[in-house]
Amino acid sequence: MRWHIALGTLFVLILVAVFGYIAVGEQTRMQSFTDAYDARQIETGAALFETHCRTCHGPQGKGIIGVAPAINAADMFNGERLAAAGFSGTLTDYLEGTISAGRPIPSAGTSYPQRMPTWSQEFGGPLRKDQVNSLVAFIENWQDRALAEGGEATAPAPAGEPIGTDIAVNLPPGDAARGEQLAQSAQGGCSACHELAAVGPAWAASGDVPGIATRAGERIQEADYTGSATTAQQYLIESIVLPNAFVEPGYQPSIMPQDFGQRLTAQQVADLIAYMDTKP
Amino acid sequence: MAIFKLHLPILDEIKQKGLRPALRDKKEDIVTRVTAGLSTEDVRSMLRDDPPGRPNPRLKPHSEGFWLHMKPTYYNNLVDGVYPTFRLGWLSTFFFLIEIVTGVLLMVYYTPSPEFAYTNMLTILSNVPFGRLIRDVHRLGAELMVAIVMLHALRTFLTGSYKKPRQFTWATGIILLLVTWLLSFSGYLLPWDQLSLWAVTIGVSMVEAIPPEVVGRTVNLLFRGAPEFGANGLLRWYLLHVVALPLAGIIFVGVHYYKVVLHGHSLPPEAEEIGEDTARRVPTDSRTYFFPHIATRELFYVVAVTALIVIGALFYHAPLEPHADPLVTPLHSTAPWYFLWLQGMLKLGDKVIFGLIVPGVLIGGLLVLPYIEVGPSRRYGHRRIGLTAGLGLVFAFGVLSYMGSPWYAVQTSPEQEAIAELLPQTHPGPLRLADWNGLDIGTYEASAYAQAPTGTLRSVLAEFEHSVEAIDVPERSDYQGVIVIEDWQTNLKKLTLRILWTDDASGDPGEYSQTVYLHKDSNYGQGE
Amino acid sequence: MTEAVAQAPMESDATQRLPLSRREFLNYLWAMSIAVFMAGSGGAAVWFLYPRFRAGEFGGVFTVPVDELPPPDSPPKEFPEGRFWLSYIGPQTEADPRQPDDYPLQTGVRAIYKVCTHLGCLYKWVDTNDRFECPCHGSKFLQTGTRVDGPARRNLDVFPIEVLDGQGNVIARTEPTMDSHEGSPVTIAADAVTLKIDTGRRINGAPNSAPGGGM
Repeated sequence: MRWHIALGTLFVLILVAVFGYIAVGEQTRMQSFTDAYDARQIETGAALFETHCRTCHGPQGKGIIGVAPAINAADMFNGERLAAAGFSGTLTDYLEGTISAGRPIPSAGTSYPQRMPTWSQEFGGPLRKDQVNSLVAFIENWQDRALAEGGEATAPAPAGEPIGTDIAVNLPPGDAARGEQLAQSAQGGCSACHELAAVGPAWAASGDVPGIATRAGERIQEADYTGSATTAQQYLIESIVLPNAFVEPGYQPSIMPQDFGQRLTAQQVADLIAYMDTKP
Repeated sequence: MAIFKLHLPILDEIKQKGLRPALRDKKEDIVTRVTAGLSTEDVRSMLRDDPPGRPNPRLKPHSEGFWLHMKPTYYNNLVDGVYPTFRLGWLSTFFFLIEIVTGVLLMVYYTPSPEFAYTNMLTILSNVPFGRLIRDVHRLGAELMVAIVMLHALRTFLTGSYKKPRQFTWATGIILLLVTWLLSFSGYLLPWDQLSLWAVTIGVSMVEAIPPEVVGRTVNLLFRGAPEFGANGLLRWYLLHVVALPLAGIIFVGVHYYKVVLHGHSLPPEAEEIGEDTARRVPTDSRTYFFPHIATRELFYVVAVTALIVIGALFYHAPLEPHADPLVTPLHSTAPWYFLWLQGMLKLGDKVIFGLIVPGVLIGGLLVLPYIEVGPSRRYGHRRIGLTAGLGLVFAFGVLSYMGSPWYAVQTSPEQEAIAELLPQTHPGPLRLADWNGLDIGTYEASAYAQAPTGTLRSVLAEFEHSVEAIDVPERSDYQGVIVIEDWQTNLKKLTLRILWTDDASGDPGEYSQTVYLHKDSNYGQGE
Repeated sequence: MTEAVAQAPMESDATQRLPLSRREFLNYLWAMSIAVFMAGSGGAAVWFLYPRFRAGEFGGVFTVPVDELPPPDSPPKEFPEGRFWLSYIGPQTEADPRQPDDYPLQTGVRAIYKVCTHLGCLYKWVDTNDRFECPCHGSKFLQTGTRVDGPARRNLDVFPIEVLDGQGNVIARTEPTMDSHEGSPVTIAADAVTLKIDTGRRINGAPNSAPGGGM
């Protein structure tokens, strides 16, 4: 039975050696697990972004005009956006807070028609805290490329005299192709609500509801019309520069930006109307 | 100052006998007290394996000390080694102890709340030195303990040691088997990852099947603390795991072991006359005394088993799946291996019959077995029917366990199954383990795997092709697999796995796809 | 062997002189290796159980950019998450007549622990009196951390500061002062960019129990 003693001693020494071996590598192992888990959070965040955020913030977070701002933008990561918002915490805090609570009212200086939903379960949304953190990790992973690409967050100024709010103004001839481009672009942003989504009355015809070109003429004849347009063109101009003058039944006032009269020139409005006229 | 007099007997003794003799006697005194009755000379003689004097002083620690009061002072030579019991009872108790020690250490960093549990697991793995080791030993020890306890029950059955006078010992043993199963099962829930939530949800759901309906629902709610497993459920199962079940375990181990010692370890069946139990009457020449021989052996077992578990933990790492999501059940979610037989039974038919009644009858039958099966002989030759039945049960356990595994008779659509072979939902799988740098951007057809630019892609695509070729759906043909790899963000790639087919009847193409995002550093191969 | 038993109570000397057998020696070896293992496990257990702090939580390292420092000689600025005040000792503070002579000063920044050295309350900055005052038992300290009145028996404790430049090099750090071994103020050079305050290590204030301040 002496072998029990000898083998027992051997096993104890093996145990001490194994503990020592583990002890020596612990710092490295803990760090490598932390790194691996941070990486997996980004993966989870990527999937969550596709499911929940892409529809409004666009693929690769570049934003959709008139719907939601770009997240994958230089000003997000170089401090400009936080400074503009008057936010005093870190970028992580900003992202966590915005995602968790959403935007029940729009940020100052913006007029996105739709509100950002609340996401965190803490405030009634669907996401757990760790899922919110995954999204933040994913967004922060855009930093390198966003800073490298640069880019603007603010909309460009109008290219000429703004049209103002006089709906009886004379318009130059409009070009429907340019109008289509403008509607889908950064400056106009009309397609987001009037073509791609059902936020505002759809321009295209659907079912037995005619398109905007026909509706413009019909609307001004109806009893519940509250605006002051007398022709189809005036109706369309009024819809753009004075949206609250008449709101289609079933839609809310003040969702559409009220400042197109200061942002668009007469030529641009003419182009838009030309494009809208292609939708009877 | 004569207000008080310091009474130091040691000083008197030094004055009386001189410094050295006084210190020596003090040392003797301490040794005798610590060993509960052995002088230094006795201890040394024990360590030298000299024959003991008469009366044998080495029995005093058993009669005068607390720790050894239940331990037998001697064993019969026939049962003093590894064979015939394989020391499985001893191992069961030792593993229980290991679980308690590692469990308490883990409790320092764990909070039983869904908000914190998973984060705590991450902390244990990322910011606690030896955290992973303790967790792995705890997990490995738990799995081994269940296996050992079951093997112990099997051995006791095979040697007929449940027979008179040891019927009650067997009954407490079955209760301990249930306690062990429940301990392991309740521990499963605590990390609050996907496996935890769904394995336990499946398990506890069977309770709902108890008829009548009102009883089933009430018991179910009592166990879960809420209609769905959440904060209440986690807390209740934590208390079960950490307080109630260990307490029950300790109490029943006490009763069980007391009875074992009372009746003596049963001898191998051939060593006794039929119907006799001579375990307690051990002739002097067949005795192996606890001190020093059995004690040396047991200390050796302690050291060897600890070393083997720690070495095992170097290779086996307890997995940590993604955070528990009550809205998503992962494909191929599975019960712990010792409950697979139950899952297998559930696939046979009605929830009540196969989930409650049959298992209940089985366990109840095991419990009262020694009171029904009262044949006097323990010899193998006289128990052929019983032994066959027992081995039949073992075989059934195996078959039912296979049937309970996700790969038997539970199939989702074949396209999902094919993709799940590359992208399983319960463990990393080949795609996540593949070398990230070898996954070049591009679109690749699985059938063209030989032309893929890197070795990693060749093996991944070959596997995909293999899974796609195995799809056999009657109304569809021409299955093809495609993998699209895109650069998504810094160090992040987006992979889309697509399976395309043509519908035989209409000639229309069909498609199914899944996306996964892979980061360069996610390192699924490190063990969790 | 029976002789040994008969003689045992009397002859403990004799048995001590029994030679060490091989088995006995191996047993002692085993026991020692187990003792070594237990000691090692004890150490491992302490390491396992010892609280660890991450940066940004109290007990860890706090990073403060230089532009968040209070100007020299202005009232100290508090950092509640780190449980410290940053006090910039300028020439005016250095020349404060209330400062006891026993605690010589330099200009620079000190990170003063918010907990009073008397019995653990959080003292306040009282601007009208230009000093820290503790509401619990009335200990009073100057902006430099030196006690000038009250039942506290030592100056305020500080956390060591490291000053880093743009490349992350350490250009200044808190050192123990000559006689009193308090933490010295750190100079903020022109190229300083951030300060790292390690709240996991604390430098105790020098003994100060004379009335009006002094050793």
